[in-house]
Amino acid sequence: MTSTTGFTVQECAAQLAGIAGETHSEVAGEIVTVAPVDAAQIAQILRVADANAVSVTPFGNGTKAGWGNPVAPGIRLSLKRMNSLREHPWQDMTCTVEAGCTWASMQAELAQHGQMVALDPLWPARATVGGIVATNDSGAMRLKYGGLRDLIIGMTIVLADGTIAKTGGKVVKNVAGYDLHKLMTGSFGTLGVITEVNFRLHPAETAARTWTATAPDALQFAEPLRILLDTQMTPSSIQLRAGKLQSALDVRIATRPEAFDEQATRLRRIFGQIELRDSVNEVWQARQQLFDQADRVILKASLRSSDVCSVSSELQHWTAKQEFDFDLTAQATGLMTVALNIQADAAPGLLDQLRSRLKASGGSVIALRIPESIRAGLDVWGCDSNALALMREIKRRFDPNRTLNPGRFVGNI
Amino acid sequence: MLPQSHIDELRAAVGADGLITGESQLQTYECDGLTNFRILPGAVVLPRSAAQVQAVVRICARHKIPFVSRGAGTGLSGGALPAAGGVVISLARMNRILEVDIANRYVVVEPGVINAHVTARVAPQGYFYAPDPSSQSVCTIGGNVAENSGGAHCLKYGFTVTHTLGLEVVLPNGEIVQLGSPTLDAPGYDLTGVFVGSEGTLGVTTKVILRIVKRPEVVQTLLAAFNSPHAAGQTVSDIIAAGMLPSALEIMDALAIEAAEAAVHANYPVCGGLLLVELDGPSSEVEALMSEVRAICSKNGAQQVRVAQSDQERALVWKGRKAAFAAMGRISPNYIVQDGVIPRTALPSVLSEIDRMASAAGLRVANVFHAGDGNLHPLVLYDRAIAGQEELALDLSYRILHLCVDNGGSITGEHGVGKEKQEALGYMFSEPDLATMQLVRCAFDPENIANPDKVFPRTRLCAAEIPGPYTPHPLETAGIAEIF
Repeated sequence: MTSTTGFTVQECAAQLAGIAGETHSEVAGEIVTVAPVDAAQIAQILRVADANAVSVTPFGNGTKAGWGNPVAPGIRLSLKRMNSLREHPWQDMTCTVEAGCTWASMQAELAQHGQMVALDPLWPARATVGGIVATNDSGAMRLKYGGLRDLIIGMTIVLADGTIAKTGGKVVKNVAGYDLHKLMTGSFGTLGVITEVNFRLHPAETAARTWTATAPDALQFAEPLRILLDTQMTPSSIQLRAGKLQSALDVRIATRPEAFDEQATRLRRIFGQIELRDSVNEVWQARQQLFDQADRVILKASLRSSDVCSVSSELQHWTAKQEFDFDLTAQATGLMTVALNIQADAAPGLLDQLRSRLKASGGSVIALRIPESIRAGLDVWGCDSNALALMREIKRRFDPNRTLNPGRFVGNI
Repeated sequence: MLPQSHIDELRAAVGADGLITGESQLQTYECDGLTNFRILPGAVVLPRSAAQVQAVVRICARHKIPFVSRGAGTGLSGGALPAAGGVVISLARMNRILEVDIANRYVVVEPGVINAHVTARVAPQGYFYAPDPSSQSVCTIGGNVAENSGGAHCLKYGFTVTHTLGLEVVLPNGEIVQLGSPTLDAPGYDLTGVFVGSEGTLGVTTKVILRIVKRPEVVQTLLAAFNSPHAAGQTVSDIIAAGMLPSALEIMDALAIEAAEAAVHANYPVCGGLLLVELDGPSSEVEALMSEVRAICSKNGAQQVRVAQSDQERALVWKGRKAAFAAMGRISPNYIVQDGVIPRTALPSVLSEIDRMASAAGLRVANVFHAGDGNLHPLVLYDRAIAGQEELALDLSYRILHLCVDNGGSITGEHGVGKEKQEALGYMFSEPDLATMQLVRCAFDPENIANPDKVFPRTRLCAAEIPGPYTPHPLETAGIAEIF
């Protein structure tokens, strides 16, 4: 534990145990883990941390704990006891859920009324609402339903000084005050601790089908994808999967059962010579599977949707002459996850190359997972925004003592 | 008033033809769509570029002159009301569409571009810009960004923020920053998300990257006549419960129907509650869903159900709906427009309570609402000529907003807080909530010069600035635009 006030791990643990209870505070090495039961306890814990210059990392189940820059050891604020779906007024199609609730258990409860939060994040069985929101994760369904910024209608947060604040509300349409929940989404726990989230809900996709087309070169999908996105069809997800030697395009459509045949006919017309076959739901696990091999370097790239196939194809051609291998999934929205099977020392070069390739068209690349051996010399975020000074000022206003996840975010925020 | 030296600096920044200081010309800018608030600005500038906006803001920052940016001035909450002696930055001359990228479904526009012109530009390729406030034929994208404007179709398509990918902004210190990007999830805080809907308090928008959407294959509009708005409201709940997401679900009560008929002869059925359902999407899907909607209407006792048979008929249906506010002038000398939101399920009880409150006050309230998302637009009718009635009407309209908050809703769904609802924001949010919002405000605008004294509650209101009843905007009187 790093503390400029000489606060020790033992002192810290004792104080936190006094807040959350003996059984909910434990020490492991330099880290004190505490599991509060409500926002009021979180406020107390943050005040202790803030006063003693100890860093706090909000923690769900740790599925994305390695994302962003490392944070000095301090307090691990576990949300595991705050894990319930608080309200589900299903006729209003909204819900309020605690940040420690896993995505899958929330969805299971919502499904009892045929509803869902229309987002397919990574590791839904383990990942928590708070962690998913803090990292702004999203999957292929974003094409139809938008991302978290379009689905979150309100939030409760606790600031570093213990202020408990609500933002937004429980109605879908609401323009009263600043949308702080949009600021919190994707802020990696650097501005406040998210304790509750209000979502707008959608009807669950009761009838959906997936089709898959395959081809060696990703570039072969460029034209079908362009045409498909330009039609009046409304697929809920489209993803490109590509490796060194092969690629596939998956399309998922949710509609009324009687409309599937007509949709399939239309799709076949678009894909022309490229064979399109009925596929299985499991293909949508592809993004998550990229993370399965622990030694892979994982990048998140954001590009224009018209570049998805060409950039994938370039990677195929480029790696054909190289020693290393890769796999990627790219959603039609332009969000791409790349898993590189690469020597650690070659990763920074590739990262730079991809960044300069995408920069001209407004794209970006974040290194989500990198070997510790090269982390020190690497810019994880690649943020060259001219609003960085403003972002730092927001951080300073929200968390002047840099208590919350210091250094984890862009520009060392 | 502004000292001559500041005026000279402004003239140097925007040129003599970009500066207005004459009193009679300044009067054009003394209010927005909330016409009972009027303040004369010290000067109006009409910049032609982001660099000129930057130069103006730098002058304001240097001398701590408050500034208010302004589009078409159609806002209904006083957001573009000038600061006394301050500068109004009109973005009307920055009205170019800079880029159209159909393959990536976005356009880049300057803030003075009119909402409907975006759709007009991309319509030949089969696309449209989804947010459709009723003033869309005159209101500007910059104003839409400031207010996070909605419209009748946001139930399905979302709001301005849903369609804003990125912004170029002149910060209150004069710096230009790019927020967001044509691609998703740019590294860093989602400042675009915070800026949209900040009502001009965080800076001046000089460029906007907007998503455009493919036109649906089929659009069908159904009208169903019920005995009461309650039955229409139950139908809305049943439609939603059946798992449908129509593009619009609108209800008008008898008073609103009467007024709209008188104004535009929309050929509405005479009834106690009129429901308008619009479905869009692939034709096979829309047809199947429309028959389900018909069945739900019948189950709830609809006396008449009809589907608009042509584009002209649908346009007429919408014309009546969008004219409903202005039409109130035909059945009442004066009226106040409100904009509250409630959870959909609270609709029957809130409507009953509004009825009760109106009766107790001896006033009539017409109801027009975006029922799908619980956005009520109660219109409090009164006669200013009757002593004391205006005060009664004002009091009633604010109590209706409180009723919305008490039912778990919001004080504004699309009109913004602006000047009108500053105090009501304090009813909806607690002190810590407001203090947290102020952290954002202070990070962007530490000197408090960007649209000061708006949105957030004041410790007290001056008597001359007490929010007031609705008087028609000049554009509305001239029949150029409708309000929502």
